[in-house]
Formats: sequence, structure tokens, C-alpha cells
Amino acid sequence: MVNKHDVKKRMRQLAAEYIHEPQQEAYKLDDTEMMLHIGPQNPIQPGPFLIDLKISGETVRDSKLYMGYGHKGIEKILESMTYIQGLPVTDRICYLASLSNNEAYVSSVERLLDIEPPERSQYIRVIMQELSRIQSHLLGTGEYATDLGFVTMFLFMIREREYVLGLIEDITGARITHCFPRFGGVREDLPDGWREKAIDVLSMINEKCEMYKELFSSDRTYRMRTVDIGTLTKEDVIKAGLTGPALRATGIDYDVRKVYPTLTYPDIDFKVQTAKKGDIFNRVMVRINEIQESCWIIEQALDQMKPGPLFPDELPYGRRTPSMRVPPGEAYVPVEDPRGEMAMYIVSDGTDKPYRVKIRGPAFALMQGLPPMLENVYIADVPAIAASMDSCNSEVDR
Amino acid sequence: MPKDIRTPMQVITTTTGAIHEFLKKSPAQDVINWGRKNSLWFMTQPMGCCGVEMIAAGCAHYDTDRFGIIPRCSPRHADVMVISGYIVRKYFPALKRLYAQMPSPKWVICMGNCSISGGPFYRSYNTLQNIDEIFPVDVYITGCPPRPEALIQGFVELQKKIKAKTDKGTMYGVK
Amino acid sequence: MDELTVLDSLKSQFPDAVADALIDSQPPHIVCANVDKGKIVDVCSYLKDNLQFNRLSGITSVDFPEDGKFEVVYLIASYDHSVIVKLKAEVPRDDNPSIDTVIPVWWNANWYEREVYEFMGIYFDGHPEMTVLVLSDDMMGEWPLRKDYQEFPQTTAKYPYSDDQESIVEEKYPLEWKSWPTERHYLE
Repeated sequence: MVNKHDVKKRMRQLAAEYIHEPQQEAYKLDDTEMMLHIGPQNPIQPGPFLIDLKISGETVRDSKLYMGYGHKGIEKILESMTYIQGLPVTDRICYLASLSNNEAYVSSVERLLDIEPPERSQYIRVIMQELSRIQSHLLGTGEYATDLGFVTMFLFMIREREYVLGLIEDITGARITHCFPRFGGVREDLPDGWREKAIDVLSMINEKCEMYKELFSSDRTYRMRTVDIGTLTKEDVIKAGLTGPALRATGIDYDVRKVYPTLTYPDIDFKVQTAKKGDIFNRVMVRINEIQESCWIIEQALDQMKPGPLFPDELPYGRRTPSMRVPPGEAYVPVEDPRGEMAMYIVSDGTDKPYRVKIRGPAFALMQGLPPMLENVYIADVPAIAASMDSCNSEVDR
Repeated sequence: MPKDIRTPMQVITTTTGAIHEFLKKSPAQDVINWGRKNSLWFMTQPMGCCGVEMIAAGCAHYDTDRFGIIPRCSPRHADVMVISGYIVRKYFPALKRLYAQMPSPKWVICMGNCSISGGPFYRSYNTLQNIDEIFPVDVYITGCPPRPEALIQGFVELQKKIKAKTDKGTMYGVK
Repeated sequence: MDELTVLDSLKSQFPDAVADALIDSQPPHIVCANVDKGKIVDVCSYLKDNLQFNRLSGITSVDFPEDGKFEVVYLIASYDHSVIVKLKAEVPRDDNPSIDTVIPVWWNANWYEREVYEFMGIYFDGHPEMTVLVLSDDMMGEWPLRKDYQEFPQTTAKYPYSDDQESIVEEKYPLEWKSWPTERHYLE
């Protein structure tokens, strides 16, 4: 009779020998552990990055992130272009919310030039920012739904997103990567008949958000997979330095539009959406509530707008000149991106090209805070947690 | 992995290989091509801004499923590799490995200006240009980013090429 | 919490280490100050413990080759009030520039300091893991964002790692070519 324990011991020995020696030494694996690489081409997010998971059975013991598969060197490129030439390049930092990136760049340069856009341009910029927030949340939540297997929600949300992209395309002419604001104003005014079309589309999106909330919260399997998983407490979030919906889901109401108000946000009445517990379920609910709040902001802005000029009367060097010289100094203006606080720190030395541009993106902190969240969690929860943080790989890599 | 992944099988050693070469010169190849061109499955590889348009082309408004084109995540299930976005030095070995993992016949489509010639990131220390010196590219789609209709037209041009037997994916002319 | 209270308390607590402190005239009114290189951890802990600055926004660096220095810039904000503080520390531009790490004060300074090291070459003493974050492994040591980096080698996919770019480019596309380059057929 063969002893069962001897057989098991021998099989474990064989399994341990089968693992490559270098890997076992390099990663310091036990006999029961294994290394799983979710490689650069991953289905979790649009954008390549590498996660190394050390798993034992089905639970994750340790994880490590490797970034850099999308690094283009934007900060070095911007030092060799004039200010107006650098504007289309800043579009492509985070392509899901390119109007916020443009807004951060243009606001900082306007501080250096000491000019302020007139009121109508400020209202148009507010409308564009909120539209960009709606379409980014729809795409982000849709991608998160595919990682759970809930493909129906993805298809619904992309269908609504096409209507919003149609609205944006009527004004700017492009679906993503718009390059719309200019130093001192915006490129073009709203076309005729846009206001009525926008009100129809926004009321349709408001109704659909109610349907989304019901679909998300009534399914029992979905609740088992998302409630109380990937929880962040208030101390975790403050330690990791997060901003955006991931922070607001834990109960801290910190929104850059209320803390550092720019443009005409003080005249518009809106509420900051928070939740009580920072798990996956509540993060998704906060995003859907923010979509509804953005629809309300756009309607108020359309009501309060009055006809007027788009650029101020006296501009230094005209408004579309390529050889505009900016006075020396430094500027830092934070703006609310769909993912958090976005800002650009621009140092200028008096010539027509910037001396140093540092892009402070919100996704950097979200990616940095991911490995501590993946401890003692099942493998099947890893895509759900990573996608619910909704970070953008190209903003970390620039 | 061979050193230059563009050199295909030069010598026919197996019976299946001989049968395939015989069929390529016969009229049965038309039927095989008809089957292949109407179900091109592409690998989802969103590397950059064009990746978002690639995702949007597969969904409601600009449906690609009516042509038989479905996105697949794994390279082992895919026929077409769409290089959508900027190619970075760190990602380049992974790209070569993904191409080698796809089973033949396989086609490559270059989408967007960044993969053709560098795009707006031409003057960078970290991006590569002229990817068609390594991969055999069939269709080039220009734009920054191209619209989803342009991507669908790219697939239709690839279908026409397969029908006319001038594509680089099936290896005609191997002696 | 006002900008003036922050400015006054910083000046009174560190009269030697903090110099040239002023407030921006335009919104968001940032409090800027120059700090001694050796005292940076003390100033940061004072800001976090007594004045409730519990969020680190970012760490960057700027290169001034004519003045012979690097500037490391710390941008500090808070969840409880709306004041932003910008601290600048000067590091001389010699063979081994280095400064103390700020990780004991804020946990999320980890990746910011790694990024500054791989782009500019400034070492942070006490950091647990100084490796590449965003660049590839063979580019460690090149410090791309310095002003005297031999910039932008035009690389094509076939010759990405070559040193003498010019000779290869001239060989492939000589100045007097007699015909178009032939179609690159996939069979060699």
C-alpha cells in the first residue's frame, strides 16, 4: 500500500523542480507559490502595462507594477515647440479626457501672460469640460463592466457615448483630441440650433442613468462580486494621495471645482457627489451620479450665457501668432479632470518656447496605490479592482 | 524564435505543407479565400489614441460584426494584428513576440500616423518609426486618429486584396 | 487657514533655512519659498504635523546648466484647506547630486522621486528602490531631460539601438539615388 502522504510529498517535489531555477531564486518563491505575469498587452485597460502577481492557490500574496510601455517623451518634445505648437501635443497625454488637458495648459499660460478670457468664452469652456467628463465616465464604466463579464452594459454605454461625441463634434470638429481652447478664449462659437439638440440629448442621458443604476444594483451576482471588495478607508486614501471619484467614494468631499474655483464655476450651483464606503460598488455609483450632475451644470450654463465677444480687446501679439513671447515666471493651475486633479507646472524664461513643462496627472497616484489593494484577494477580483480605479496608462507614462 | 521573423518557411517538409502549396495553385483557393476574408478576427491591442477609435468601431454605431470582424484578446485566436498607436522601445520586443504567437495566415494593418511614420511624436528619443521595415504590412490607414469609418474601409480593402490574391499574409510563391 | 498665517509661521519657525518667501498675486495664491538642501525633511514634517498639509501633489526638477544647479520643486497641498505651498531646494550640478528622501513624511513620494532620478540623475538618500519607472532598462544613466542630452536620435524600427546613425542613414538613402527604393518584399 502506498502512503498517500508520500505520494503528495513526491508530487510537490516534482512540481518544485519543474519551475525554472532562475525564476524560483529570483522571485524567492515557496513550494506552493507561482508567478503570474499579466503581460504588456492586457485586456484590463486600454493601454499596456505589466502586473506581476505572486499567487498561492487562488489568492494573491504580492504584486508589482511595471510601467513605461507608452512613454513618448512629451515633456522633452514640448521644450522644442512654441506654445501654440505644443497645444495639439497636450491633447494626447490622456486621450480620454483631452479637453481637460488642454484647459490645464491654456490656463497656466494665461496666468503667465496675465490675460483673462471674457465671460462667454468661460461659459463655453465650462460646457466643454462637462461634456468631456460625461463621455469619459461612460467609457470608463463600460470598460470596467467588460472586465466583470457584463458586456451588455458596455454596449449600452458606448451607444449613449456616441450621442455625446456627436454634440462635441458639432462644435470642435473632432471626436477625440480636439485642441479647442486658445490663449484668451476659444476657437469658435456655438453653432445655431445646438442648444435645443443638446437639451434633448442630455435629458435622454439623464433617463438612461436611472436605468443604469437600477441594472447595477438589482443583480445578485453583481452585488456578490463588488460589494465589500477592494475597500479603501479614509486613512488609505489620504496616505496614497488620491483625488477624484476614488477619493470621493470614501466620504471625503474634495473637488477641485469647489476648492480652487476657476472660470465661472462659482456662479453655477452644483453638489459634490460622495458615498459612504469605498468599495467597487460605490465608486461606480459615484461616477454615474457625476454624469447626472454634469447634465445639470450644462443646462445652467446654457441658461446663464449671454452673447458677447470671444477674445479680449487687447491681446499681446495677436491671438494666433506662432512667435508669441511669454514673460518669465512660473505657473501652476489645477483643473478637475474626470480622474482627479490635473495641473501643469510651466517654467518660462522669456522666449517663445517653454523652458520646462511638468505634467502632474491624477492617474499617477491611482496606479501607485494599486499594489497595496491587491493583497489577499482572488485572481478573479484583480481586473475588477484595477478597472474600477479607472486610471489611464498613457497619463502615467506621458 | 527565428532572427528575422519575416522569413517564412522556405523549404516544404511536411505533407500538409505540400497539400497547401498544391491548393494554392488550384481554383479551390478561391473558396478558401472567400471563407477567410469574411471572418477576419483582429487582436485588441490598444496602444494609443487610435485604440479608442478601434474600440468604438466594434460597437453600436459603426458595427464591424456585420462584416464578420470580431475583437479577440488573445493572439492565438486572431488573424489580423492592428498596430494602433505609437511604438515605444520598451514595448517593441513584446510586439514581435505577439506577432510570432499568432497562427498563420496572418495580416498586419497599420492604423494611424504614429505607426506609419512617427506622427506627432516624431522628434522623440523613445519612439520608433517605419514599422513596415519589420512587419509585412498590407494596409495603411492615415489619420490622427482616423475615424471608425476609415478603419472599416481599411478592412474592406484587405478583403479585396485577399480576393485578388495580392496580400502578404498567405505565402504565395514559396518554392 | 490663510496664506499669510502659513507664511508667517514658516518664517518664524525656520529663520535660517527658509529664504525668499512670498505669495503669488494671482489665484491660486501659492506660497513659494526656497529651502536649504539639508533641512528639507524638517520643514516638510513641520508642514504636515502642525499646519495640516497632508497631501503631496508632486516633485519635479528643473535644470539650469548656466547657473550650475538643479532645482528640486515640491508642491504640497491639503485635504482640509485650500492653500498650496511650493518649496524649492537647490542641488549643485556636480558628479553625484543627491538630496534626502521625503518618504517618511508622505508615503506617495516613492514614484515621484524615482521619476526624478531616472530623468535628471538626482539621487535620493534613503529611498528603498531606485530603479527605472518609465524608461527602459538600457536607458538608465542617460538622464534624458537634462539640457545637454544629445537629443532625439532618429530611430527606425530596423536600427533602434545603433550608435552611428548618420552613416547608416546615408547608406540606405544616399544623396544621389538613381531609382526609387525597391518594394520591400517579404521574401528575402
